[in-house]
Amino acid sequence: MNTTVTEDRLLVVSDIHLGNRLHRPRRSFMDFLHFAIENNYSICINGDGVDIQQMALSQLTGDLAACTPLFLKFGATDRKIYHTVGNHDIVLEHFLSDIGRLTVVPFLNVHCGDKRIRIEHGHMYDGMFLKFPRTYSVFTFIGLLAISVSPAFYDRVHDLNLAIIGFAEFLLSGFKTKAQRNKDRPGEVIEGERDCFRQGAEEVGARGFDTVIFGHTHLAGTVRLSSGARYYNTGGWFSKPHCVAISNGQEWFGSVEELTQNGDPFPAAAPKDDHTHSEVQQSA
Amino acid sequence: MKKFSHHETQSFADGDIIVREGEETREMFVIQRGAVEIVKQVGGHEVRLALLSRGAFFGEMSLLEGLPRSADARACGATTLVVFRPGSLLLQIRRDPTFAFELLQQMSRRVRELNDKLVFRVAGAEFGNRLARSSFMMTAASEYAASRPDEETEP
Repeated sequence: MNTTVTEDRLLVVSDIHLGNRLHRPRRSFMDFLHFAIENNYSICINGDGVDIQQMALSQLTGDLAACTPLFLKFGATDRKIYHTVGNHDIVLEHFLSDIGRLTVVPFLNVHCGDKRIRIEHGHMYDGMFLKFPRTYSVFTFIGLLAISVSPAFYDRVHDLNLAIIGFAEFLLSGFKTKAQRNKDRPGEVIEGERDCFRQGAEEVGARGFDTVIFGHTHLAGTVRLSSGARYYNTGGWFSKPHCVAISNGQEWFGSVEELTQNGDPFPAAAPKDDHTHSEVQQSA
Repeated sequence: MKKFSHHETQSFADGDIIVREGEETREMFVIQRGAVEIVKQVGGHEVRLALLSRGAFFGEMSLLEGLPRSADARACGATTLVVFRPGSLLLQIRRDPTFAFELLQQMSRRVRELNDKLVFRVAGAEFGNRLARSSFMMTAASEYAASRPDEETEP
């Protein structure tokens, strides 16, 4: 298993949750794949690409059937698909290896230009996931049952889950309210994100990385770390998915919608590949 | 204000010695910026064992085994290192679980490279031995043949 790679052009997204009945990311994800192929980017799905934990089989097969032809198109290019394992697709750890153009890894260290970039789902820094793994899986299972009842019921269960986490944080912080806890935080933070993720990014970033990219929280944003590295969270596809585009050491961060509608942020760096382009045109 | 970073860092100028061979220190380092050269004195000559770049670990042998340093480490260019002391290693692994994974990966790579070098040397020595043995046999045979010319010419 090789977790260190060199890439000149890479798009990073996370938390697509294909197969989850709560949302319909299929169309926008297919647009994203088209964009990546047309503009000669490798892609990294940074965890929870497929939602094994909360899937509906019919939804998952439908999503994969639609996306597979596009995944296969990467085989006609010299581009790759990286998948870092997340908590909702943790069973993919059984496939940690190179499978054709697909590489499944627990995390990825990317050399791009003169930059070292760390891509990781981020669940390993989630205090709840680490300290209470059984409670975490019980809540995930309750979520699955709630989805089967109705999306609205799931939303109520999710709110209850957030309230319990909030109460646990209130107890663990020595009875400080959210406002008091926010006051204690340094100026630059991703809105709504718990400190454990920023702390994890700091730990990783200090080890000689210029950029650290997480997902998991579904809260998109970016902050500067104390080591000078840049930390991005690409959020999730339940609301407004974000993406980090990397090209020869340059970085761009914004929503996937912005990316696919406004075009390649690094057009000059895109290598011309007429064969790939014409194939995509035909398939579109 | 809450402090997010717990890391101790040390900075070195180009050519500074970070650790010396035989020194009984126990820290392990990760290169945050710059590069580090690992060198060893062999028979009065300096042999470069490795040139490590950003993100690489070194010093882990002394930390894990409690033995003196096995080589010198020297900064190449302005270098910043993150320092891990024996008391903070487990805490670091708990805070950043992938740290242990990457440490094992690098050590595994180094064992593989050493194995390759060892195989190359052993094979080289074996080939040398065979060559010496066959050249000895050839010399002995030709000497034997030269010492008995009459026998061969006799009917």
